[in-house]
Amino acid sequence: MYQPLLANRYLRSRIIPLIAVAAVALCVGLVIIVVSVMSGFLDMLLNSGRTLMGDVIIRYADPGIPHYDLLIEEIESRPEALAATPVVESFGLLKLPYGNRTEGVQVWGIEPASFGQVVDFKDSLVWTEAPPEVRKFADEMNGLEIPVFEKLPRLDPESDDDDPGVILGVEIDSAAKVRRMDGSYEVKAPAFWMPFRDVEITLIPISTSGALEKPDNRRFDVTNEFQSGVYQIDSRRAMIGLETGQRMLGLEAAPIYDTRLLDETGELERIGTYPARVQMILVRAADGVSPEQLRDSVNLAYSAFAAKIDDEGAMTIRPPDEAFVGIRTWREQLRDLIGPVEKERELMRILFSIVYLVCAGLVLSIFWSIVHEKTRDIGILRAIGASRPGVLGVFLAYGLVIGLVGAFLGALLGWSVVVNINSIHEAMGEPAPDWTWITAFALAAVMLLTAIHAGLRGGMLRTLLSIVGALILAGVGTALVLHRGFLMWDPAVYYFNSIPNQVDWSSAILTMAGAIVFSVLGAAIPAAKAADTDPVKALRYE
Amino acid sequence: MNASNDKTSAHATDEPVLVASGLRKTYRMGRVPVQVLKDASIEIRSGEWVAILGASGSGKSTLLHLLGGLDRPDPDGGMIRFEGRRVSDFGGAELNGYRNRSVGFVFQFYHLLPELSVLENAMLPCLVPNRWFSATLPLLAALIGGGVGAVVGSTFGVDILPTADAPTPSKIALLALTCGVLGAAIGVVIFQLGQILAERTRLRHGPQAANSRHTLEEFGLGHRLRHRPSQLSGGERQRTAIARALASEPSILMADEPTGNLDATTGREILDLLKKRHDAGLTIVMVTHDPTVAEYADRVVQLEDGRVVESTV
Repeated sequence: MYQPLLANRYLRSRIIPLIAVAAVALCVGLVIIVVSVMSGFLDMLLNSGRTLMGDVIIRYADPGIPHYDLLIEEIESRPEALAATPVVESFGLLKLPYGNRTEGVQVWGIEPASFGQVVDFKDSLVWTEAPPEVRKFADEMNGLEIPVFEKLPRLDPESDDDDPGVILGVEIDSAAKVRRMDGSYEVKAPAFWMPFRDVEITLIPISTSGALEKPDNRRFDVTNEFQSGVYQIDSRRAMIGLETGQRMLGLEAAPIYDTRLLDETGELERIGTYPARVQMILVRAADGVSPEQLRDSVNLAYSAFAAKIDDEGAMTIRPPDEAFVGIRTWREQLRDLIGPVEKERELMRILFSIVYLVCAGLVLSIFWSIVHEKTRDIGILRAIGASRPGVLGVFLAYGLVIGLVGAFLGALLGWSVVVNINSIHEAMGEPAPDWTWITAFALAAVMLLTAIHAGLRGGMLRTLLSIVGALILAGVGTALVLHRGFLMWDPAVYYFNSIPNQVDWSSAILTMAGAIVFSVLGAAIPAAKAADTDPVKALRYE
Repeated sequence: MNASNDKTSAHATDEPVLVASGLRKTYRMGRVPVQVLKDASIEIRSGEWVAILGASGSGKSTLLHLLGGLDRPDPDGGMIRFEGRRVSDFGGAELNGYRNRSVGFVFQFYHLLPELSVLENAMLPCLVPNRWFSATLPLLAALIGGGVGAVVGSTFGVDILPTADAPTPSKIALLALTCGVLGAAIGVVIFQLGQILAERTRLRHGPQAANSRHTLEEFGLGHRLRHRPSQLSGGERQRTAIARALASEPSILMADEPTGNLDATTGREILDLLKKRHDAGLTIVMVTHDPTVAEYADRVVQLEDGRVVESTV
């Protein structure tokens, strides 16, 4: 059993196995870092989308879904559903308190309590307390009252005297505050800090016949701002109370009168109630239930609910037919947002499969040269009676150990970089400390002196390597001097506070396995070729 | 075939151990075929020392390589018999066994493995034959490791998939497969490590190590056992190569210019060493271009232009 002995000696005897291990480790590490960041980015995007709308969305545009409370009851009675919440939705106009600015916004009417059970609403609220610059401003303004931020803000007014509340997307007001690099906000104009101010919202109700009715304009207190992480939502959505929204859009409950009785008594006879309606119901899945399973369950719940309403006598508004109601998972609902990112990821995968191939070629070429160098040894082994598979076994073990050690070192490298990617990124964002470039130039000077010394003594290799080393170090030093801080990941562009720092272990394991397979193949193919050569030819090989 | 003379050593018998007749071998130099051996025939008797003498390019090394099973003659290019069996008909395993146990080779340029010590080089032929577990046990380690990896991958695969990826059966299967590959690799490497530890004892204290150590001590290399070939002189390297050739106690020692790379004194030392072994009964076939070296042999076979032209005592 000479194979482990020889493989062990080959691994320990030269520097080239170390170079091969380093090459495998660098390739594995590089792929792990890039794929992890890409997957993490998509994960963050999808998670933010999911936390905005729950797992399944039932949607029916105007005139909306009547008896939605019964539908919610029916859905919540199913084990697949954890909670459901009604939402009214319309486009409207928002008048900001400065500059006569009016924005077109998407208005959602929500019930904060149930809405918070379905989506991660509380975590998306930006303000938990007033920032220092606002407090300072309030003090200067002789104790201007600073609003208290509730975890579950009240949006519908308690009485007719109160103004309703609104929660604005954090990017709607982009003039009074500035986003910092760490993702938090600095209030530049405390006087126009939104929670100090009122806004006006105008909504246009649509009649059951589809005609536009008289616009409803109301003043709202800005209760807080929210940040979903998706720019299109943060810059366009305003959330008001469900009842307020229903009232402004004409979706609240209303009595039904029999107009035929008008002429005889002079009064309308109330013969029923037109139920309040919503355009959307968001549903959250119970733990361990997939959105697809929940969607199927919600479909059944809707059928049961529609059948129940049908049974309840004639004088009511029946829910729309199941065929016209959209019941979709969050992924289906956000197709237009997710689709391009998924396509980008697929593109990255294709690009990285090319990188994989380049890495594989690198590993193959290194092994080819290693095994070629050992052709004479293969001839010796064959001359003393070693079989072809036996000789191949030496190089399989050799490639396997290099692949395995390289793959694990690469995973360690990838993990270290991904976990610390934000610290590394922050350090890159700062100018380089003086000691770094001073050290680089000092080392370059030492290398230059070594080159001169070696040159005077006639050592060409040492001279050349020292000159190359000096040039590289001088280049690094110059780059450090010129480096004034560079941030690749700008939260103002990407709208995530940090770079994803979770290793995508599924891709990492795939990469590691690929590296091992390529290392083994890389060693085995030239070894098999050498083993097939006659011993005499192999022995003559130099 | 040329007649051979009967003046041989005391151990030589009339029974030929190795017979080659009508050997032809053609090499290609680019597109040009060069016939190196043209109908060469030779008989080696047990216990005999035969020197194959010839000028450079006469085909003497090629003849030795064919006799030692390192190369094959041209198709229909003659026949070699060893102890009555046709070497030219040997399959892969038989040929490996012939090279390993029946003949021992000594080369002009020693051809020692630089990564192994003197003792390890000398006992290498004893380590080469495959035992039944040589391939079975690593395979078993790979299967066990791969199985464990696949089970772990399929069990915990869902937990490590990014949330963006729906855990479809094909993705879990791919993950189980990749974990299986990792597990197999780890299994084999752990097995190899165990084997290296286990072999260490065999390499130092096993019966083959004792035999090789004894031979090396006899050759005056007792103090060099743990040295690498690069730390030895030319003569010491050649003595190590002879110890390697003798490790599996072959029937015939084949030496290709064993003194060709050594100075005269060291060359004589090597030839004395071979003579000592020959006197103890070893059959030797030696290729040389030097008539003074050929004088050590019982019989000299002259090779000219790929043909045996003369055989003298």
